[in-house]
Amino acid sequence: MKGFPTLSVITWAPFVGAVLIMFLARHRPLLVRWIALLSTGVSLALSIWIYATYEREAAGFQFYEELSLVPPLGINYQLGVDGVSLLMVLLTSIVIFAGVFASWTVKERSQEFYALLLLLVTGVFGVFVSLDLFVLFLFYEIAVLPMYLLIGIWGSSGEIRPQGIFGWALRRTGVGTKEYAAMKLTLYLLFGSAFILVGILALYVAAGSSSFSFLEMEAIQFDPALQSWVFLAFYVGFGILAGIWPLHTWSPDGHASAPTAVSMLHAGVLMKLGAYGFLRLGLGLLPDGATQWVWLVGTIGCVNIVYGALSAMAQTDLKYVIAYSSVSHMGVVMLGLATLTENGLNGSVFQMFAHGIMTGLFFALVGLVYEKAHSRAIFSMGGFGQMMPGIATAFTVAGLSSLGLPATAGFVAEFLTFLGAWQSAYSWWLFPGVLGAFLTSVYVLRVAKQIFWGPKSADPHFQHLPDAQGPEWVALIILVGVLVLFGVAPGIAIGPVDTATVPLLLRLGVLP
Amino acid sequence: MALEVGLAVLILLVFVGGLSWRGQDKRRLGVLVAIGLVILLWMAFRAEPGAALFGGSFVQDELAIFSKRLFLLATILGVLASLSLRAPTFARRATEYYVAMLASLLGMLVLASARELILLFVAFELMSIPLYVISGFCKREEEAVEAALKFFLIGTVSSAFIVYGLSFVYGISNTTDLAGVAVALQDGHPLLILGMVLTLGGLGFKIAAFPFHMWVPDTYEAASTPFVAWLSVAPKAAGFVVMFRLYLEGVGGPVVLWVPVAAGLATITIIAGNLMAIPQQNVKRLLAYSGIAHIGYMLIGFAAVSASGVAMMLFYLVAYLFGNMGAFFVVEAVAQSDGSEAISAYKGLAQRSPVLALCMLLFLLSLGGIPFVAGFWAKLLVFKAAAEQGLYWLVLVGAILTVVALFYYLLVAKRMYIDAPERTHPVPVSPFLAFSIFVCVAGVVGVGVYPKPLVMAALRAASGLF
Repeated sequence: MKGFPTLSVITWAPFVGAVLIMFLARHRPLLVRWIALLSTGVSLALSIWIYATYEREAAGFQFYEELSLVPPLGINYQLGVDGVSLLMVLLTSIVIFAGVFASWTVKERSQEFYALLLLLVTGVFGVFVSLDLFVLFLFYEIAVLPMYLLIGIWGSSGEIRPQGIFGWALRRTGVGTKEYAAMKLTLYLLFGSAFILVGILALYVAAGSSSFSFLEMEAIQFDPALQSWVFLAFYVGFGILAGIWPLHTWSPDGHASAPTAVSMLHAGVLMKLGAYGFLRLGLGLLPDGATQWVWLVGTIGCVNIVYGALSAMAQTDLKYVIAYSSVSHMGVVMLGLATLTENGLNGSVFQMFAHGIMTGLFFALVGLVYEKAHSRAIFSMGGFGQMMPGIATAFTVAGLSSLGLPATAGFVAEFLTFLGAWQSAYSWWLFPGVLGAFLTSVYVLRVAKQIFWGPKSADPHFQHLPDAQGPEWVALIILVGVLVLFGVAPGIAIGPVDTATVPLLLRLGVLP
Repeated sequence: MALEVGLAVLILLVFVGGLSWRGQDKRRLGVLVAIGLVILLWMAFRAEPGAALFGGSFVQDELAIFSKRLFLLATILGVLASLSLRAPTFARRATEYYVAMLASLLGMLVLASARELILLFVAFELMSIPLYVISGFCKREEEAVEAALKFFLIGTVSSAFIVYGLSFVYGISNTTDLAGVAVALQDGHPLLILGMVLTLGGLGFKIAAFPFHMWVPDTYEAASTPFVAWLSVAPKAAGFVVMFRLYLEGVGGPVVLWVPVAAGLATITIIAGNLMAIPQQNVKRLLAYSGIAHIGYMLIGFAAVSASGVAMMLFYLVAYLFGNMGAFFVVEAVAQSDGSEAISAYKGLAQRSPVLALCMLLFLLSLGGIPFVAGFWAKLLVFKAAAEQGLYWLVLVGAILTVVALFYYLLVAKRMYIDAPERTHPVPVSPFLAFSIFVCVAGVVGVGVYPKPLVMAALRAASGLF
């Protein structure tokens, strides 16, 4: 399709913003924010536009663009979106747009902060829209690396005191500090990318060393033995980013130490990058490998759900609660993918979106609470609902979505996923899933009650706290609005997603 | 042949110029050297593959031309950076320095074209011996003498290995012509294989593959940084060219013999280099060990024993040239300003000299293999070549150890960007050094953003070997 390169503009607009910020906005903090807002606004507007104009009857990849990069190796800059990536692009642009507002108050070195943040977003968009495995990998790496500096420079160190028999060893690593978290996160994710790279190269060679194109590989039936190990490589590689147990430990540390906008983006969008990559490359290219290994994927997804929820219950640091809840919810996503049913897959993709918005909202709120009260310790705070009604309400909405209350996006996602789990070959998956949803309600309501709705804390520091202000309101309203909108009218999202999951399942041979 | 003759003339000019120079400061000679080398580089870019000379012992094929350009480019950068050296001993003895450097370069140029065992060995020694001399250039410093001695002893032993191995090769194949050796290899006589493996051991010392690497960190630490930058790239590239000529060119089917040897050597070199780099506190030592690891990555391309493997390795060498030399130049700039080569000297560099810190970051990212800088393509292409050979396990080892490498590169990045500065004044960079750094940054980013021409050139250079 010739014409306006919409996807390229969506992807590269933040990058252009980052370059402009570096060159034009030295020592002009307000200009920095306006440029960031404008460039992410362009992406948001265009992603809404492509969402609206995507032709559902035609399905498949649309808004196709192609440019030859390294012809002798078959590397092409090839972009396109189907129903799943469409929703992911929308998610990314909403979260980053809200993220720019939420980090309006970053003071220290804000120029570099916004530039790196926008660079990161370009990487994320790139992964969702690329159809060339090589370019996808390229963007994937870009999405990982700025994180090191973002957490290392602007992050916050928590008050973790390692205990237990290995406490002495953990203390030596500097656990809880932002430097530790930044390094851990970066190394884990790069470790994962090593597996992805091997998998991609294996497919490339098996397909005849002529093209990295997803569309061409999709048409090839790979050898089952190859599929089996490449699937595992993709599972480990993308799974690390999706936070699969037991490789999830970077996520609580990283998300708790990261600055607000980065936590929002990372927990909200980057973890979906893992799930998306797994869906696109793992399920999309390796049907035999998928049918062979889904039992493992689904079972570990169940472990994630329960383990994440139990861990979240044990935390005393507000940010860690939210971080562990992400681990739990990503379990739902992986479980949904493993069901290989239409409902399960739709639910899973919907959960990626719902959780992205919800966790983005959570981290924005935690950031706001921390900024006003300078505390993340749950049990020292109390009764904030009277002083900051806006923040309290938003937190409660996010919490209700998190535990899957009807009329929020979380309900639709979990309902579909669990339905899929029941319909799948391993119907017992339903029980850990439901148990997880129950545990979630315990920890979410406990936190909401303690901090916002319970009796007021006696601590004099917490007597006069302001509510959200100016730009912060914008972030909250956008995210709460989307969460409720998609809960009330899930069809907006399920429609396009269905056009992508049904052909995928047909290819997997699950649907007749 | 024109290049070699031109270089010989340049050496004589520098020699005579140095003798007739009045005054203590002879550094200006470097400008003459640089200009001469730029002319030679221009000639190298215009050179066309020609007929073999001297009965086939001297060839000017695509591989020779490609590697000669690489040697000349590395030498120009090394010479430019050396113009910023301020030590009085250097100023007084600059003639020796440049003549030795150019003599070594002459060895490399001949080496790239040698297709005959004796010429190959003579060129190899011509390349190596001046390196020992320059390593001990600061003869009043104990460390420099120690480093030079260590380098010299290990270097001679490795030369002995090579000669010993080559004697077997000659004994079995009855010819010193490499084409004849390749033919003899078809029979796979065990003594011939033994000779070749012994030679590989000797070459392993020169390219600093593990376990033949131990001279590297000490020599790098003690010798002057612009020289080390050059030493870390050019002679190793020459070593690899010899390996292509000796083990791959025209061998045909039996070439798979070298797969396990090269893959094993690559694996241990990557693992050892990367792991030993972690505890280093001195940047030059860190880069020395990381350089060993990079040699391992290049050996992956060698282990692929295919045209694309060799091409990707040549590509890797170019990426490594820009990234590694650039990093050493930044080290030199910081050392000239703060008098320290410790990693802790980089604290807060991003706030003192943002541009210099950004350059260093780009070099480190390139060495670490991150997209949009040259090193990423280099690693990826080498992996691709190995994957085509079915060496997936090697790719996995390499890719995982890249994470280790990024760990220690990021530790330097952390000092520069996250830690608070200890000093406030910016780091002054002399113009010649700044220019060399600029060229390296341009190379790293240029190749990273638009790798196509270089990939094509490398593929063309390697196409004649198989």
